[in-house]
Amino acid sequence: MNKKYGVYICTGCGIGDVLDMEALVDVPDDEGVNCTTHPFLCSKEGVELIQKDVDDGKVNAMVIGACSRRVNFDVFNFEGCIVERTNLREGVVWPHSRETYPKLEEDQKDDEEHFDPIQMKAEDYIRMGMIRLEKVKLPEPYKTASFSKKILVLGGGVTGMSAALDAAKTGYNVTIVEKQNALGGYAAKLRSQMPVAEPFESLRAPIVNDLIAEIQAMSNIEVKTATEVARIAGQPGEFTVTFKKPGEKIPFDVPFPLPEEMLVDANGKELDAEAQHVKYLEYNEGRKDILQLDPDGELFGAVILAAGWRPAKLAGENYAHLGVDLADVITNDEFEQIAAKGKIVRPSDGKEAKNVVFIQSPGKDEDDADFEYAGSVTSQVALKQARYVRDDYADGKAYVIYQHMRTPGLQEYFYKSMQQEDGVFLTKGAVTEVAKKGDGLMVTATNTLLGENLGIQADLVVVAAGMVPVTKDDPIINLAYRQGPGFRDNDIFGQYADSNYICFPYETQRTGVYAAGAIRRAMTIEESIEDATGAALKAIQCIESANRGMAVHPRSGDMTYPEFFFQRCTQCKRCTVECPFGALDDDEKGTPKANPTRCRRCGTCMGACPERIISFADYTIDSIGSQIKAVKVPSEDDYSEPPFRFIALVCENDAFPALDMVGMNKIDYSPNVRVIPVRCLGSVNTIWIKDALAQGMDGVILIGCKHGDDYQCHFMKGSELAEVRVKKIGDALSSLALEEERVAFAEVAIDEYDKLPGIINAFVKEVEDLGPNPFKGF
Amino acid sequence: MTEKYLAQPDLDFIAQLRELGGETLKKCYQCATCSVACPIAPEDSPFPRKEMIAASWGLKDRLIKNGDIWLCHQCGDCTDLCPRGAAPGDVLSAVRSAAITEYATPKVFANAVNDPKKLPFVIGIPALWFALLAFITTQMGGTMEKIFHAVFGDFLGGRLHWSHSPEVAEGAEKIIAHADFVSTWFVDLTFVPTAIFVTVVFFLGLKNFLNDIHENAVLEGKTDKTTLDYKAFFQALVRIIPTVLKHDKFNECEANKDRATPHMMVLYSFIGLFIVTAVCGIMLYVFKNAGPYPQWNPIKWLANIAGVALVIGSGMMIKSRLDKGKNQLTAYKDWFILGVVFALGLTGMLSEMTRLAKMEYITYFMYYLHLISIFLLFFFLPYSKMAHLVYRLTAMAYAEYGNRK
Repeated sequence: MNKKYGVYICTGCGIGDVLDMEALVDVPDDEGVNCTTHPFLCSKEGVELIQKDVDDGKVNAMVIGACSRRVNFDVFNFEGCIVERTNLREGVVWPHSRETYPKLEEDQKDDEEHFDPIQMKAEDYIRMGMIRLEKVKLPEPYKTASFSKKILVLGGGVTGMSAALDAAKTGYNVTIVEKQNALGGYAAKLRSQMPVAEPFESLRAPIVNDLIAEIQAMSNIEVKTATEVARIAGQPGEFTVTFKKPGEKIPFDVPFPLPEEMLVDANGKELDAEAQHVKYLEYNEGRKDILQLDPDGELFGAVILAAGWRPAKLAGENYAHLGVDLADVITNDEFEQIAAKGKIVRPSDGKEAKNVVFIQSPGKDEDDADFEYAGSVTSQVALKQARYVRDDYADGKAYVIYQHMRTPGLQEYFYKSMQQEDGVFLTKGAVTEVAKKGDGLMVTATNTLLGENLGIQADLVVVAAGMVPVTKDDPIINLAYRQGPGFRDNDIFGQYADSNYICFPYETQRTGVYAAGAIRRAMTIEESIEDATGAALKAIQCIESANRGMAVHPRSGDMTYPEFFFQRCTQCKRCTVECPFGALDDDEKGTPKANPTRCRRCGTCMGACPERIISFADYTIDSIGSQIKAVKVPSEDDYSEPPFRFIALVCENDAFPALDMVGMNKIDYSPNVRVIPVRCLGSVNTIWIKDALAQGMDGVILIGCKHGDDYQCHFMKGSELAEVRVKKIGDALSSLALEEERVAFAEVAIDEYDKLPGIINAFVKEVEDLGPNPFKGF
Repeated sequence: MTEKYLAQPDLDFIAQLRELGGETLKKCYQCATCSVACPIAPEDSPFPRKEMIAASWGLKDRLIKNGDIWLCHQCGDCTDLCPRGAAPGDVLSAVRSAAITEYATPKVFANAVNDPKKLPFVIGIPALWFALLAFITTQMGGTMEKIFHAVFGDFLGGRLHWSHSPEVAEGAEKIIAHADFVSTWFVDLTFVPTAIFVTVVFFLGLKNFLNDIHENAVLEGKTDKTTLDYKAFFQALVRIIPTVLKHDKFNECEANKDRATPHMMVLYSFIGLFIVTAVCGIMLYVFKNAGPYPQWNPIKWLANIAGVALVIGSGMMIKSRLDKGKNQLTAYKDWFILGVVFALGLTGMLSEMTRLAKMEYITYFMYYLHLISIFLLFFFLPYSKMAHLVYRLTAMAYAEYGNRK
């Protein structure tokens, strides 16, 4: 691309009032780049003005100095052009006012004493924008070698069948894989299921048979029962899937990565790549390496993970007080199986069970938590099963002792109807003991609605065991990925298959694999059906995006992907290891393989690479590094008391919009900070920080999302990795006789914009107290 | 920790409460809005939240023996504000009916008064009885006089006569007296034993009742007393009389504030009529003045005022219940007692008016209906809703005694 540069500056929205436009226009002019100003650049006339230059072939790479890139992105969209949006409005003139920073008088200009911090910031931003244009290129979409639009559904329960039907109805070919000999899953074993239609008051027969019939009528759904997935290799759009019979051992069973303790030699020293590979082959003997594709494998575009759950086992000391070892203390799952067979009877002696106590939480301690993996489902199941007791016996009594009665949505009506059933007795309470008494059981509870200490006689006790996602026990998806066959960071999601439950439902930690149903969260049949639709849509979106060489999520539509300058790769594997999505595989030598359609384009690999050989078309080590270098660092040669200079590397997902909100609310913060948005803090390469300090910047702050248990990082691990890297850089700084405090790390949520000025100012103050960077002026 | 309470839900009791007007008892989800809304609930373990869960669990023992159910005046504020459409006011009313039935013996009368199917018997038996008495009085006056003479002879100086007819001078216009229709002897021979019976039934019920509510209050920590001291209890009873007379508690209500005035009118009418009846008794048996009294007599004034107040008061109550519909449920037990009270007042007034209008047979018939009404009210006093008079007074006195706060 032969770049033709241009700069367009809008003088509207207060920009022209605050800034010295002549001086600002001089910045590109001095570089020989044409600069045009317009009072209303986002208007029809303004856009036409730019479009005309584009059409005339005058410009194809432009800086638009106006509002934040988070607004009017659809207006300033010129095909085939590189557009850099310089944030003069939210970033410069809105937060910093002339009341706080008065314009310089004529005699103050160039007196080496006075300076105009707002003007300086605007000029730096224009320079930074211009240099970026030079350093980036237009992205070109990545195309896979082969491509399939088929969707693979793992699991033939209600969720899997619903997802398959939804996808098939939109015209996609679908294959359902079910381990059991028949479709149906857990729902096929129920006596009844919760109501699904007005007035939501009576139970209905399980929906399973309707779904199976519907599936059989669809010509574009293939069903493979008694089948398992041995491995899924490749990437979205071209997953190569090997099937097998359950329990069978085949060469294309997925290999596992070496456990950590095997990566080192007898002395604790890390083995080199080739030695590790030898061990890896031994460890996985009989299984082909992940990079070896099964020639007989079937090609799929995306995977819907609907493998479901298993009933929790309640055993051990934590549940001993509930009498879980007694014959007539059973789980809700066991109760359901009894109910499905006929009248409710006791497992111990087969006698009629007319007095049934349903226990919804472990009780005992002050903690009011429900059983693990319960969600709202066990509340609803207890109500449903209480219905069975009343249906079976006119004089039946069902007691429900709960800490939380959760009946979301219209199921509230079912709760109401059950509550009004004469033989159903509900109370909040903590069960302290279940013991044998005479022929039956005695349940004792405290803190109930009926008083401190309540006793209930029961024939049968049912405890509300939760729904454990099968991903807790097993990788399930068997991905032939270097990071391993399962989801690596499942512990932060309680072993559910998820990546960010709130922001990105259905997304797992592996692009192209979309979870639905109880593997994602404890769900009822109705919720699973709805969830299946969501996952089916995501799978379709993935296929269609991958087919156009675009990112699915969360940078939807992004056509860039990591590119490697392999000549300099040292095979350190850091990119492969640190990628939060397992997108990179490395070969036996440790050379990474990109798998672009697996990639979410966060740039964590770019931040990780010590050789700095990873880049994206429009986002490179050099593009950001040059922007940092474009900032003018005033020294004592320029002013008697030169202002400090800071770089803020700000995550574009939450922190950057929060900073825009600071601007919109016209809240001032130090104008000496130059903000550079980054894809994710994970993409921040420490070379940027080192270079910034080496050129005399007084400090660098990284602002990103919260990490830890309640993490908000869009890429799960980015901000966490960044903090680790920043900590490590501290050592390097002290060797340069620079204070560690010059580099800071801050976490901020998008709704905490009001905290941002305080965070920035506190950092600025701390560094100012340290004094200027001694490297300034060199 | 408090002693373990073994919950034993009683499905029949739940059904019974539903029958008695507590249809909504299972709708409660224990948010306790009712307890907050109630203007008269004490701060310490307030009602009716805890009564609502006990009702929905069918815990008969916890409700029947609970003094708090009587502290409720069925204002309806709770019912008004309930987010779930439950009517705690009506549920407690049903519980009170069940409690009345529980404490009254024999139960057959309680069941009769609460069952609309038994109404023909409830009215028919006294109707037949008074018809028989009327027949004897009107047709067999001579025979009765002879029997009287034969039995009592000159006892009390020959002052005992069968007839209470006022002496009428020869040729003067005949004075219509209801005693000529049903003999006063017969009336008293019916009602004096009835009064004794009612007193005994109440006495037996109250003894258990007071012990039960005390036991329950101790169990639920609603009192600072551990034993039941009758002397102190009676002192407390005396202390609360002004509260009852002034309807202080009733006036704290919001939703059904308009009920307080008619209720007060009815209460005062009964007190007035009680005084009238007592004075008449003394006049008859001590001073041998059998009446009817002339209209200028102060006793007549009192009787007339009380009678009118009773008709208006009970009439207003009936009207307000007809108007309310949704806000306050009116069960059969309520209609029964309101009907009886209204009929009592109306037939009383009509008997007098038709007597003064010299409509002899009509006034006799009115008097006949009046007697039936009185009997229904009186005899079923311990079994009908009217018993609240005694139980509520006792419970309020106990709350005063037990320092319920």
